[in-house]
Amino acid sequence: MNCHEAHAQLYTFIDGETTAIRRLRIRWHLHRCPPCGDGFRFEERLKARVRQICRDEMPPELANRLMTFIREHDSDGSVG
Amino acid sequence: MADQATFEDDVTEFLPQLYSAALRMTRNPADAEDILQEALLKAYRGYHTFHAGTNLRAWLYRILTNTFINRYRRKTRRPAEVELGELEDLYLFQRMGEDGPGGAVRSAEDEALESIVDDDIKTALESLPENFRIPVLLADVEGFSYKEIAEIMDTPIGTVMSRLHRGRKALQKALWEFAEQRGIAGP
Ligand SMILES: [Zn+2]
Repeated sequence: MNCHEAHAQLYTFIDGETTAIRRLRIRWHLHRCPPCGDGFRFEERLKARVRQICRDEMPPELANRLMTFIREHDSDGSVG
Repeated sequence: MADQATFEDDVTEFLPQLYSAALRMTRNPADAEDILQEALLKAYRGYHTFHAGTNLRAWLYRILTNTFINRYRRKTRRPAEVELGELEDLYLFQRMGEDGPGGAVRSAEDEALESIVDDDIKTALESLPENFRIPVLLADVEGFSYKEIAEIMDTPIGTVMSRLHRGRKALQKALWEFAEQRGIAGP
């Protein structure tokens, strides 16, 4: 595997959406090619950072408000 | 078949993440609450069509996503499908490596990532066109598989992959622009 082939599989690799054999071959390339190794690690960390940052807290009273809304609109389409 | 009587118990654990996803879709709390409310009512009324024991979380996200797309298209009358140009692989890593502090990629790699401001990450995600933002949101933030995203968006898996990949690069481009504006990175 060369760098170009590794890059083409960057996202399926970090998303865990590739086969075990391909994973091994990519890992082997990353082991032997420090620039790709660093690049892949950077992408993995960036993805983790996006996940960590882009989750917001729900306002504490919202769950109750939503469920009350559902109960009020129970069974038919009318506004209760 | 799922029983309406257990709806509240069944969905409660998913509400915080659904709210957060709605917020990233609509970009503001009032609209987020609005589409979540509408989506939940649809889910409640259609709960008898949900097969108990299958993927409830994905089913709820599917309804939320559809609710958002329908609302959004009605509201803005803007073409929802936007194309993005092709960007090179490892876009942000390459930029930060070339121009980052000291230019030493290996030691600067962590610092570069740390130097990105939290709010910029949210803004960058929210700046993506809808058809790219949703797959990035569902994969990176919500942790769904490609197959689940394809089902949630009712889109072929190949399309999901190409939008996700291009969306991520566009996110990196936006992050790079923010970093330059802040004077964190760049020559
Ligand atoms: Zn390489």
